[in-house]
Amino acid sequence: MPQVRIIAKNFMDMVAALPAMKLDKLYDNSFICEAILRSLPPLAKKYVLQMLCVELPVNSKSMEEWVLPDGASKHRVAIDRLVQLRIFTETKKKGDVTYTLNPIFQTNLKKLLVYGVVLPREPMPSSVTVRRPSSEELEAFALEQWECFLLQLINSSQTERPSNISSSMMKTFQRGLVTQRDREAPRLTESGFQFLLMDTNAQLWYIIREYITSSEERGIDSADLISFLLELSFHVTGEAYNINTLTEVQKNTIKDFTDLGLVKLQQGRKESWFIPTRLATNLSVSLTDTSSRKQGFVVVETNFRLYAYSSSKLHCEILRLFARIEYQLPNLIVGAITKESLYGAFDNCITAEQIISFLQQNAHPRVAERIPSVPENVTDQIRLWETDLNRVEMTTAYYYDEFPSRDLFDGAVDYARSYNGLLWEAPDDSKKMRLVVRAENHGHMREYLSGQK
Amino acid sequence: MGHGEKSHRPSKKHKSSAKESIPVEDYEAYVGGEELDDDVRGDGEVKKRDFTKLELKPDHMNRPLWACADGRIFLETFSALYKQAYDFLIAIAEPVCRPESMHEYNLTPHSLYAAVSVGLETQTIISVLDKLSKTKLPKEMIDFIHGSTANYGKVKLVLKKNRYYVESPFPEVLKKLLRDDVISKSRIIPEGANGNGGFTISKTLGEIAADSSGLLNEAELAAAAEEKETHAFEIDPSQVEKVKERCLPNALNYPMLEEYDFRNDTVNPDLDMELKPQAQPRPYQEKSLSKMFGNGRARSGIIVLPCGAGKSLVGVSAASRIKKSCLCLATNAVSVDQWAFQFKLWSTIRDEHICRFTSDSKERFRGNAGVVVTTYNMVAFGGKRSEESEKIIEEIRNREWGLLLMDEVHVVPAQMFRKVIAITKSHCKLGLTATLVREDERITDLNFLIGPKLYEANWLDLVKGGFIANVQCAEVWCPMTKEFFAEYLKKENSKKKQALYVMNPNKFRACEFLIRFHEQQRGDKIIVFADNLFALTEYAMKLRKPMIYGATSHVERTKILEAFKTSRDVNTVFLSKVGDNSIDIPEANVIIQISSHAGSRRQEAQRLGRILRAKGKLRDRMAGGKEEYNAFFYSLVSTDTQEMYYSTKRQQFLIDQGYSFKVITSLPPPDSGADLSYHRLDEQLHLLTKVLTAGDDAVGLEQLDEDVDDIALHKSRRFSGSMSAMSGANGMVYMEYSTGKNKNGKGQMKSKPKDPAKRHHLFKKRFA
Repeated sequence: MPQVRIIAKNFMDMVAALPAMKLDKLYDNSFICEAILRSLPPLAKKYVLQMLCVELPVNSKSMEEWVLPDGASKHRVAIDRLVQLRIFTETKKKGDVTYTLNPIFQTNLKKLLVYGVVLPREPMPSSVTVRRPSSEELEAFALEQWECFLLQLINSSQTERPSNISSSMMKTFQRGLVTQRDREAPRLTESGFQFLLMDTNAQLWYIIREYITSSEERGIDSADLISFLLELSFHVTGEAYNINTLTEVQKNTIKDFTDLGLVKLQQGRKESWFIPTRLATNLSVSLTDTSSRKQGFVVVETNFRLYAYSSSKLHCEILRLFARIEYQLPNLIVGAITKESLYGAFDNCITAEQIISFLQQNAHPRVAERIPSVPENVTDQIRLWETDLNRVEMTTAYYYDEFPSRDLFDGAVDYARSYNGLLWEAPDDSKKMRLVVRAENHGHMREYLSGQK
Repeated sequence: MGHGEKSHRPSKKHKSSAKESIPVEDYEAYVGGEELDDDVRGDGEVKKRDFTKLELKPDHMNRPLWACADGRIFLETFSALYKQAYDFLIAIAEPVCRPESMHEYNLTPHSLYAAVSVGLETQTIISVLDKLSKTKLPKEMIDFIHGSTANYGKVKLVLKKNRYYVESPFPEVLKKLLRDDVISKSRIIPEGANGNGGFTISKTLGEIAADSSGLLNEAELAAAAEEKETHAFEIDPSQVEKVKERCLPNALNYPMLEEYDFRNDTVNPDLDMELKPQAQPRPYQEKSLSKMFGNGRARSGIIVLPCGAGKSLVGVSAASRIKKSCLCLATNAVSVDQWAFQFKLWSTIRDEHICRFTSDSKERFRGNAGVVVTTYNMVAFGGKRSEESEKIIEEIRNREWGLLLMDEVHVVPAQMFRKVIAITKSHCKLGLTATLVREDERITDLNFLIGPKLYEANWLDLVKGGFIANVQCAEVWCPMTKEFFAEYLKKENSKKKQALYVMNPNKFRACEFLIRFHEQQRGDKIIVFADNLFALTEYAMKLRKPMIYGATSHVERTKILEAFKTSRDVNTVFLSKVGDNSIDIPEANVIIQISSHAGSRRQEAQRLGRILRAKGKLRDRMAGGKEEYNAFFYSLVSTDTQEMYYSTKRQQFLIDQGYSFKVITSLPPPDSGADLSYHRLDEQLHLLTKVLTAGDDAVGLEQLDEDVDDIALHKSRRFSGSMSAMSGANGMVYMEYSTGKNKNGKGQMKSKPKDPAKRHHLFKKRFA
């Protein structure tokens, strides 16, 4: 089972990790060039623009002079990034390092500056009378789709309708997040739980990354996929675009995206349209700025009761992982944190700290200012219950039996004791002579025993 | 913890224990409150309650509550309408838990009965509830309210000239009631009555204006004053409570209202008493009184206020409003003295009008009206009395009491109430208590014996208002020592389990540490509670502190309590469970509980109540500003023993009132080892031997009669204890060290090697 590390990596990290061939091919697309430019650190952005019309290699020494001495580290980062993305080509000659701007990238960017951005397709002309959803509707649609997908992902029985996503693809997504032992219901892993606790953008990115990496298995070029995704992020939220402008591969992909809530499909009288949602247009936005922090919704009381102001089934499922859900109301979920429910969570490798931080991070504004936002006795108790499970200490040891004589046994017991290595000896009245000694004393014991023979 | 321990276990235990017919006390301990709680179904599966389909009102943000079809109600305490909603809900529903942000209530037939009896009408209940609810009211709930209250308020029980009448404006209802066997048998047919249907007909004024305690405008009721014809039949006074029981929601469903129109009572003489001007009832006391006297008459019922919140002032105020003879029942002699004192303190009653009636003081008031303070026992006593008390009891029996004031109604068994109520005839009954929880179902008995719950205060609100002390509750986890735990696990020690976990040296040391800390560093007054008599004596002797238990005489008790109150040298007192109720020790502000009665939530709350009054000590005030916590409640539990399980259960009530227990795991602190007792292993082993050699009966619980607790105090009675304990030779037992070992095979000395040379190096020191 591959170990999945969940890092909220940038889309561009993914691009940078592509092999050189694919990367070069990617730059054929002027959207990509613009998207990449936008994603660059400020200094790197400046270097690209400075070099836009320079066709000769520029010496690294002279480049260093562009920045003040205290900007050296930022300079380093910018250059590294540019080289990594193959926007700069590094040439080393006799100890001299020079950089050139990737010619394809350069040409495309120049074109872009001259002609402006031209999307491969135009938004639906206003003459076509297809009802377009309001931005609220679109937002609600996107979130609902996403939630539905997540519910399916964690194998919840709460899923209402099946989605288009094939079970094999679902399995890919579940890799590392959900484990399934033989004949048992699938269970969330530790990282799976962590995944659920991440914000939507980070979750989406994780899924998209899995989607891209697994694309080759489905016979789709990952570079194509990336460029399509980037393209999508340049579309306008809420505008409808004609599906016929898409390639066959893209048409298939867009169905998956519908399930993820990236686009909404709209059937017109003659033609079909797709409408990108905020999820899609946010894709290329750096994940680090989480300005859209979700508002907290959980109130935990000193009596271990838990009230969640939410109508989301997903929230309910998340809470169910460590609490007993008792009531579900239109905008409130009522539950209790119990020893049993927590043991269930600990069983699934969810840690006390994860639960506590989830409760704290999602504290309802009403209790969020309170310090602590989650009552101390509850957090203490959650931790205590966890430590209660870890009270058994393991000591590696050796077990000796079948001593030829009582004397030898007694001697061995004394000897082990003298090294402070005796863990257990059979009680005096038992006929069997048995002995357990710490592993680190095994060498001494062996010497002693062989010496006695 | 939390609500969580509602596993299936308790109910299973219940069944098995019922079969073995174990004593009531144990029964109470085993049966959790779970049966009352409908969270768990027979199969132990949590009922799924999905009410997501309820329709949210567009302005739900401004409304404070959700109501579920199964009767559960959730109330946001941060809502602007909280205060009004709270007053309303407490009148119509049972509080389930009331922590800081969200309260839960249950709508039950009994709670609705209480609502009706304080003057709320079905339509009012529904419309106010609908107004407060964020969602449309579930149809089930509306039906439930209709169904439960349709018949309420149609029948009244009236006491006229010392005779009981069942009264109703609807003769058909009376006829229906009379079809019931119990009721028709209880009927007294007046001589010269013409046939069965002959009801007495009289005219009474209808309700003028039922003040529904300022809910929402809509809730204000106005019933026009009109003359109504009422029909009545008389019933046998000794059958009154049976008739009332038959009329309850779970039987005929015509719960009877008991109201006393004391202002128009010209038959009974008035008692000249007023509240003194300095007796200023606090807002919640005022509120509870307003529920009782809502429509200018006195209603029977129960008022629930936390200990230390001033129940006695409510009682005295009620008596001074009614201004008729009042019989006040307390649980023991100490508390009788306290009540008499309270009457004199708060009211202008003249000394000759108040008297105490106990085995020690048999006073009689002069004049034709007065207040008698006595114990339940004195009234209910069935045996032969002295001539003098026989006379007094005869007077009590023959008098028509304006008010029957009953203290600590939660501890008095139903049987006792029956007797008391059969003996005394009163127009109005007021029950006072701090905790209306019992581990058995007997709390519902109070509903027909006394009346519905009129008011219940919210503990947390009182703490916030500064009316009761802000208590820091802590559960101290004391790990069992190895040797004690080994014995604890043995089958043959099953009867000594409690003694073993209570006498756990680590617990003793934690207790000693806490006593020292609070006595020396804070100058606090400490009560140590132990249910286990053996432990109580061991602890008290070892620490050289005074103790009070069942057998301590009244004189000695008073002496010890007096010393505790006044002396600077007596700062700690050890109490057995006799101290749980009604011994008023306002000085104490620290409680250390070393052993307790299994899973009794009530005991835990009562014990906490002992220190709730202790607020604003003089010293704190001088230092300027109150301390955040001025009272401390420690519950010491031995980890990995039954005690942990019980402790969780016990705390449930307090937790539901919004208290939180902090868990302390390292007491005493590692650096304060040697100066505390039982530091050395041989001391610990000696203690262990003592526990193991004491008779099984000696280490068990203190056995007080049934549930009577302190009620029984003045009777001579058995309590378990060995001869050696009584003679003071406890623990001085000759015992050969090896006997235990041979008998038990792997006795407690198993870890002790015979040959000193073979001893583990860690222990060598200790034996040297």
